[in-house]
Amino acid sequence: MNHQPFETWLLDDKHLTTTEKRELDAHLRECRTCSALAETGLVLRSTRVAAPRPGFALRFQHRLAEQKALERRRRTWGLFLLVSIGVGAFSWFVAPYVIKLATSPFQWFISITGYFLYALTSLKAIGEILTVLARVVPDLLPPYAWMVLISAFAGMGLLWMVSIWRFARRAQGVLA
Amino acid sequence: MNEEKAWVLQAQQGDDEAFTRLVETYQTPVFNLCYRMLGEPELAEDAAQETFLRAYQHLPRYDQKRPFATWLLSIAAHYCIDRLRRRKFSMFSMDAEDEEGNSVELPDVDFPNPEHEAITGQTQERVHEMLKDLDTTDRAAIIMRYWYDYSEKEIAESLNLTVSAVKSRLHRARKELAGLWMEQEDDLLAEMERRHHESPAF
Repeated sequence: MNHQPFETWLLDDKHLTTTEKRELDAHLRECRTCSALAETGLVLRSTRVAAPRPGFALRFQHRLAEQKALERRRRTWGLFLLVSIGVGAFSWFVAPYVIKLATSPFQWFISITGYFLYALTSLKAIGEILTVLARVVPDLLPPYAWMVLISAFAGMGLLWMVSIWRFARRAQGVLA
Repeated sequence: MNEEKAWVLQAQQGDDEAFTRLVETYQTPVFNLCYRMLGEPELAEDAAQETFLRAYQHLPRYDQKRPFATWLLSIAAHYCIDRLRRRKFSMFSMDAEDEEGNSVELPDVDFPNPEHEAITGQTQERVHEMLKDLDTTDRAAIIMRYWYDYSEKEIAESLNLTVSAVKSRLHRARKELAGLWMEQEDDLLAEMERRHHESPAF
């Protein structure tokens, strides 16, 4: 049986003219599928609204208070943990140097100068390696390969930006 | 409406009493959506409470240009959809509900006739059961359309869908409901037939 246009009328809740209504009534008398569609439409429109038990707002206030207390506890513990880690890290990494400085300042000065010299020499070596690479690597790959590589990096960057934007949008919207 | 905006503004500035007024105003629509989505009053109560809690936490990010009710129901719908998906994932059946589902209080309707009331109650129960068979997002769309008279655009905004997707989901869900309705009618007829032909005990 052909259900059109009656099915569309019912699904779109179309406002019908008298003639259309008569045609629909005639079709509904013969078609069980469309009749069920019309009936469910009527039933859905007449369904009641369920209300919560009395005292919902009060229960919410209690829940909110509990949540706030939980968050306060969590923050306090977080802060305590952070301070403990800070103190621990300080004791572990910095305290030996402090002790060393206190016991032999001259030895400490020599060590620091040694570290600085080491860092400077390393930076210089890295710079030289990069210069050599900059001279050699462009010749190893043909220009089109460079284009592909740069395009791939640009595409990944774009994907990353779009992802960030989408997640930020979801967070600003409705998703908790 | 202006009063509501004032409450929202006050609540955004940390006034808990203003937020409580919003809770009192919207408790029924939010609870009803959760009840129709989850099917059980206890779960609906918990989901509605959680919805308001999330709304409270995310209130600073609420865009005043958007209707507060739409924003709130959108949070409720997303929460219920997530919850149903998690439940589906953990293989917990929605049919495993207890018999204490009578704590939900439905508003009185003007039908003093007990027989009519019983039939209406049965129909309501049938619709409630049929909703459980729908896909979670389709169910949310149907509830927003028929319980809250939301337009397709409003539903699309609430459920992060396109208008055409909402339309097709509504059509699909309506057809599915009609199919389920027919199946139930057949079952009822068969049951009546069986009882009619059954011989009495004595």
